Formats: sequence, C-alpha cells, structure tokens
Amino acid sequence: MSRENTSLPDPSRRDTVSGYLAERWRGIGLSLVIVVATIWLGVTGQLGLYIHPRYFVFTTIMAVLGLAFVVASFVYRSPAAGQPEPAGRPSAGRRTLMLGGSALLLAIAAVTVLALPPATLTSATATQREVNSGGLDSEAASSDAAALVGTGDYERLSVKEWVSLLAQSEDPALYADKTAKITGFVLPDSADPENIFYVARFVVTCCAVDAQPIGVAVYQPGWQADYDTDDWVQVTGAFVSNPSARSADTLAVLPATIEPVDQPSDPYVY
Amino acid sequence: MHSDRGTSRRVPTGLILGVVLVALAFTVRALSPAFAGWGLPDRAQDTITLALSVIIESAPFVFLGILLSTVVQVWLPHGFLTRFLPRQPVLRRASISLLGMFFPVCECGNVPLARGFMVGGFTVPESITFLLAAPILNPVTIITTHQAFGFSDGILITRIVAGFVIANVIGWLFSRHPDPDSLLTRTFSASCAVPEATGRDGAGEDGAGHEGHGHTHGRRPGRIERSVDLFTRETAVIMPALFLGSLVAALTQVFVPRSVLLALGSNPVWSVLAMMALAFIVAVCSNVDAFFVLSFGSTFMPGGIASFLTFGAIIDVKMLALMRTTFTTRTLVQITALVALMSAAAGLLVNYVA
Repeated sequence: MSRENTSLPDPSRRDTVSGYLAERWRGIGLSLVIVVATIWLGVTGQLGLYIHPRYFVFTTIMAVLGLAFVVASFVYRSPAAGQPEPAGRPSAGRRTLMLGGSALLLAIAAVTVLALPPATLTSATATQREVNSGGLDSEAASSDAAALVGTGDYERLSVKEWVSLLAQSEDPALYADKTAKITGFVLPDSADPENIFYVARFVVTCCAVDAQPIGVAVYQPGWQADYDTDDWVQVTGAFVSNPSARSADTLAVLPATIEPVDQPSDPYVY
Repeated sequence: MHSDRGTSRRVPTGLILGVVLVALAFTVRALSPAFAGWGLPDRAQDTITLALSVIIESAPFVFLGILLSTVVQVWLPHGFLTRFLPRQPVLRRASISLLGMFFPVCECGNVPLARGFMVGGFTVPESITFLLAAPILNPVTIITTHQAFGFSDGILITRIVAGFVIANVIGWLFSRHPDPDSLLTRTFSASCAVPEATGRDGAGEDGAGHEGHGHTHGRRPGRIERSVDLFTRETAVIMPALFLGSLVAALTQVFVPRSVLLALGSNPVWSVLAMMALAFIVAVCSNVDAFFVLSFGSTFMPGGIASFLTFGAIIDVKMLALMRTTFTTRTLVQITALVALMSAAAGLLVNYVA
C-alpha cells in the first residue's frame, strides 16, 4: 500500500489504484466468501446440502488452501507485475462501472452466501423435474434393494430402494405382504394433487444442481388439511393398487400412520 | 521468503487486515442462522441453493487450476512444457490434447490452466485444443465413464474419440486464422503480454512501463509473491464469471422444466438434440457426468448419451461464462457451433450405425 500512497498525487496512478481495487479485490473478496462458507459448512457437517460426499475431503482441503492464498494476498499487496497496460485498458467511465458492478456482485454474494441459512432444495425444483424419471443407477440400487428384501425386513427399505423395486415390477402380488416405512418430503402428485402425494427425496450424483426427485406415491385424500408441501414426514403403510384414477402410479401406499419428522441432516440420497 | 526488507513494515498490517476480515466472515456466517426466518419464496431459495452448489462444487477445481497454472508460469522454467512437444503443428496439437492426462482438473479448472499455458508460450489455437480436449481426455473422466457404462454401446470409445477429434479439428481450424490474438478478449491479450515481460527473468519490471518506478525499482518479486499475485489476478477474472455462470445455470434449472427434454428420449435424432440441451443447462462436471447420465440410460438412446458426454463436457452455460473471460463472444459462438455439430454427428453415428 505504501507504494500507492506515495504516488497518489499522479492522476494516472490514482486511476491505477481504483483499477487495482476493482480488478483484484473482487476476486479475493469472492474467494474469501466462498472458502469461508465452504469451511463453515464442512465443520458444521452441512456440505451435504450442496455436494456429493465424495468431494468433501477435496473441497475442504482446497478451501483451506484457498483461504491461505486469500490471507497471503493481503500480505503481498504489490500492484507490480501484470497490471493491464494501456492497450487493454478500458476508459475511466467503464472502469467506474466495473468497480460498481464488482462491488454489487461482491455484496450480493456476501449476503446470500454468508448470511442466508443453508437450505435443501424444495418441491419447486422437484416439480420442474419429473419424479422417478431418472436419478437411480437401477442395477446397483435394485441389487441393494434385493439384498434387503431377502432379509425380510421391509421397514428398513428406503424411498430409493422402494423406487428401484417398483421400477422393476409393479405386480401387486409382489408387494401384498410388505409394509413400507419411509421418510421424505411431501411432494404433491401433479396428476392428482388432492389425493396423492409423494414421499420424495432428491438423488444427487455430483452436486445439488443435478438432483433428481424420486418418490413413493401415498394415497391420502385431503392430505393437504394436515400437511404442507415440503414438510418432512415418515409414512408407514402397505402397498395397494392405486385407487386414484388420474395418477400414473400403479401402486400406492395406503398410510397407516403419517408422522411429521425433522428434516434429516443428510436430506439427499446418493 | 519476503526478500523485501525495505517494505517489511506492511507485512503485519496486511496480515492483520486479512485475518480480521476472515474472522469477520466466519463470525457473520456462524451467527446468521439465528435469523432463520428469512422466508424466501421457494423458487428464490432454490435458485440460491442450486447456484451455491455449483459454486461450492467448482471453486476447488478453479483453485486447483489456478495453482497448476501458477506452477507452469512461476515455478517451472520458461518453456519447460513446450520443450518436450513435437514441433510439427498437427502432432504438437495432438500431444497437447493429451496433456489433460497429467492435469486432471475439472473443466472449470482448465480455464485458468489454459490461460497459464498461453502466458507460458502456447499459441492461441494450441490452448483452445487443450481446453476442449482436457475435460474428456483425462484419467478421472475416462475411469468414471468406464465405471458407469463399461464398453457397452460404444459410449466410452465414442466419447474418447470424439473428444480427441473435436479438439484437434477445432484447433486446426483456428490455427489457420490469420490473427489468432484477435480471438482473445482485449484485457486478456494485454495481460498476456505483460507477465511475459515482467515475470520470469526479473528484467521486466521496467518493461511494465510506469509500474516500475519508485523504491521497488530493480527488485525482483520472489516466487511466492508472484504466485500470490497470480492468484489474485486470476481469481479476479474467474470468480465473477463462476458466480454469474452458476447463477445462470441455477435460474435455467428453476425455470425450464426438465420433463420437456425427457419426452424426446426415444427418437434417434431428438434424443441427441435433447441430451445436448440437457447437458448445456445442467452444467455438471465432466468428471462425474457419466454417473448423472447413467440414470437416464433407460430413457435415452445411446447416441443421445454419447452426445451428452461429448458436448456437455466441453460446453455448458457455466463454461461459456468462464471462457468468456479469455475469448471473444464471436470465438465462443464459433467454438460452440463446431462442438455442437461434431457432438451431434458422433451421437447420430452411434444411434444409426452402432
């Protein structure tokens, strides 16, 4: 800094200082925001709201390394090498605009990334992506499910495992003696929202942006009186032929109990 | 490491400032869940969640790309990389398209790396070749694609071959451009020229024009100082692009129904186009996109999947925002069109021939 201060009287230098701020601190600022958020999510065990667990270690290590560089860039504040030269230099008006734009972007990023509470995806995204249209690696999931079916302990099957079983067979006889006990968020069936909701989860392969909704249909006319969309519930019940004429699902769970539960700390499935 | 005795006074100030800001950011982050009742509408909330997930997913790769780019520019001797490459242009680009084998950064990390290569002596078309080839021709992508699909339907082979061909054909086309520097944004070609003069040999501090005066005259910045400087400059360019690109990707996700695309899956032509559109808006990393698309395996024809894996690895909304930091819009339109055409051709070939 001392260097800029001493040369401030020169107007071209002052121009360099504002350019320096615009062109450098926005990168450091945005990096600071994202590495702090990442490390905090990692420490508080919430990284899973955004990315697949296989990245936790790598992401955290790179965030710590990034943090070291961010702090180091406050230590070495040399405006030396590589400042844009006259050839590539925008006009003063554009530079002011860029400075303003950078400041705005940084402010928005800081508020949304650092001040807003972390959140899981909601049904608003699920409705944009057809339920059970993808997301399951069918072979792997159904072999897991088949192994669990073999134990006879059907209540341990998750939404994901039921969905992969249902994708293989919708023969009512196969499900006649089986009780499901599944946890997920409430997602109305688009075809018959009054009578059917899904107990739904998002499947994530990389990060939340590729999340695919999957769900088991539950037949409960008038469910809206007791539950809201996006509420987390645990549904226990047997599979029956779906009484709803409009729903596309052949089978649905006829709930014996529907209990509100807290959102799990790992809301997505993998 | 800070060899500058004369300016050591500023070191503690900067360090304190940096640490205080970091601590402040952590404090804000730790205290803010107390105000949980922000009550954002679902769609706004999901846009933020989706954008943030892309940023958190990509930022580490961007940092890794910048670090590798720093190694190339600051720590390796000048021309170290180019020394081992063939001189004949076609062979040279072919070798460059395999460099991703040694730099397995994700596609977003390839942008800073490609910028570093250009500063380090690659020509513009050579750098484009690297940028287009590396997302596919790297060990992580090949292994995950193999895990997902094995050798079934020729998807893996198509992906590898198409990635290689696309990168080399486009590299060759741009090598015939009369003025390759005009493919770059003005800011980048300017900053490209400067470190070449200032950096490595230390003689360049004056070469940077009026920057050189003052009491640091003749002082050569240490390698660590130059690495940090490079980190600052590269994040200044890449991070805003990453944030904006992720926001666009998130908005597309929230407002464009995906079911529209899925309805097209079983037609040999439409499945290819629909999967390319999906790849464009989903913007998933090339290292893992095979797992993602595997879940659509029952809905889409193999050719659609091959095009998804080829086109999506190279081009998507987020990548365009990142590449715009370096290349002009015109260049990007040309690259996108060429990659799209060749990926579609590869997909159609799989659907109709294989």
